[in-house]
Amino acid sequence: MVFRRRSAVYMLLVGALVLFLGPFAWLLDTALKAPDELRALPVHWWPHHPNLSNFRDALTHIDYFGYARNSLTIATVYAVLVTLASAWAGYGFARLHAPGKKLIFNVLLSTMMLPQILTLIPTYLLFAKMHLTNTYVPWVLWGLCGAPYLIFLFRQFFSNMPKELEEAAIVDGCGQIRIFWRIFLPQSWPVIATSLILSFSWTWGDYIAPALLLDDAHTTLAVKLAYGYVNAHGSPLGNLVAAGAVMYVVPVLALFLIVQRGFVAGVATSGLK
Amino acid sequence: MSTGQITAPGAPSPSGEAAARPGPRTGAHSARGRRSLSSRRALSFYVFAGPWVLGFLALTAFPLGYALWLSLTNADGLSNNSRFVGLDNYREVFTDPETMSSLARTGIFTAITVPLTLAAGLLLAILVNQPIRARGVFRTLLYLPAVVPPVGAALTFKLIFDRDSGAANGALDALNLDGISWLMDPYARWVLVTLTLWGAGNAMIVSLAGLQDVPKELYEAARIDGANTWQSFSRITLPLLSPVLFFQVITGIIAAVQSFLPLLISLDPTPRGVTAVPEGNYLFMIHVFAQYFANGRYGYASAMLWVLFLIIVAITFLVFKLSKGAVFYAVDPEPDKPSRPRTLGGK
Repeated sequence: MVFRRRSAVYMLLVGALVLFLGPFAWLLDTALKAPDELRALPVHWWPHHPNLSNFRDALTHIDYFGYARNSLTIATVYAVLVTLASAWAGYGFARLHAPGKKLIFNVLLSTMMLPQILTLIPTYLLFAKMHLTNTYVPWVLWGLCGAPYLIFLFRQFFSNMPKELEEAAIVDGCGQIRIFWRIFLPQSWPVIATSLILSFSWTWGDYIAPALLLDDAHTTLAVKLAYGYVNAHGSPLGNLVAAGAVMYVVPVLALFLIVQRGFVAGVATSGLK
Repeated sequence: MSTGQITAPGAPSPSGEAAARPGPRTGAHSARGRRSLSSRRALSFYVFAGPWVLGFLALTAFPLGYALWLSLTNADGLSNNSRFVGLDNYREVFTDPETMSSLARTGIFTAITVPLTLAAGLLLAILVNQPIRARGVFRTLLYLPAVVPPVGAALTFKLIFDRDSGAANGALDALNLDGISWLMDPYARWVLVTLTLWGAGNAMIVSLAGLQDVPKELYEAARIDGANTWQSFSRITLPLLSPVLFFQVITGIIAAVQSFLPLLISLDPTPRGVTAVPEGNYLFMIHVFAQYFANGRYGYASAMLWVLFLIIVAITFLVFKLSKGAVFYAVDPEPDKPSRPRTLGGK
């Protein structure tokens, strides 16, 4: 009975795994096919002459490294700034009290309901007037004020830390900024890691903001990948799209696999506590 | 999960709440000292919350106000003489058949994907919560697709469902069936639903966290009382999981109504082209993009987005109302207060 039930669990899980990993397999499969194999009928399940030239061509057909550098710059700058700024604000909401705190916190929570694009359109118009489009200044500004979701994450973490930590410091005459910087922040590396990875992958994966704010030379890999791989007649080059997509997705997957324990814990608990 | 704050009995409260009300007989020196301490603490709150508040005012509140103003004008980004048109844009939102049908389509898409994702996530969570070998590996691999950036996911599905070279038609061909133009009507919407479900690992992880919080003793007690698997699932697991499921319904709806994945699936190899979205996938957000990019109708697009925002607020409110009584909080969701002990008793 128990044995039958357990094997049913395995069967369902393996079935789910095939469905969930199948798309990755097809992506890789396509990335290894020669161009004329894509037109083969019936469909080739395996590339008959697998080669890596698609990856080389994908890097040169568009200025892959240039766009990857743009993505990397934006994502790194944003992730570092937004993590610091969110920890900063999260500390305030967790450990300090002042008139108006509740109101400010409620506003913070309700901004999570706002469709991003609603503010993005006027923001684009404003930035265009201030000649800030085609620069990375918007990401610096967005980073500096923190993200509500991450602020919430830090606030949850900081409010569960024991009071004795700061009491001793206050007795020693430590100011709040020092308490935050020297005592609370160094203890919060699991949240810092989660926040860095989350914000990095948001920006790395974002399509709308760079499509709105950046021109073709300054845009990110996400945007260029979506329409960059076409031949002279404008028809899409499936095998190069696949190779480019593999190289775009793999760093994110690798990052996730390296840090997955803490990351999953962060994602799972953030919205629930 | 939420432990609240534990204050040692008799420990002086550093929050300054008591110190803010100095007794009349307190010595002048110490009263001033305490008051300045508490006002210093209040000041430090503003120092810490300040950047976000400033950012909110400059990058959210101001653009929102601007969007509201735009929605009352016929701004098109080309001519400089946009003028105030009152509620014309809003009237158009509710009378334009294309806007209304895209809104209805978004509603259907949400009604299909949110429950499906929830159910798939819960099923997977239950499976990977069983005492089996390598369940950590199963958890990680099933979650993997949820990490793939939307553009990467959309491109992958475009390749799978390609008419000539895709795996989907390859499989049909192997079964001696005719190939299908998956990315066109009437199949495109199901490609979209499949793509959305591919990320069900997210729901799995959230449900799993909820499952792991259910005290094991409850199942044992139920088993001793002679409950079968279904009974302990429906009487213990579901009620205790209801806050987690409720959270997913809310966030799922908010995400689904804003979905712009069809844009990425059917993106032409031309920059910013939104021309070739099949009707079945022409969701509200795609209509917004079409009006904004293709027609440059900033005013109308802003009005549509404001309507969408109000719809989100209304739905959230409604779900909160409807779920009252159905959602069971064993743990006080307000972490500022000391949490109640975890009990199965009534209110």
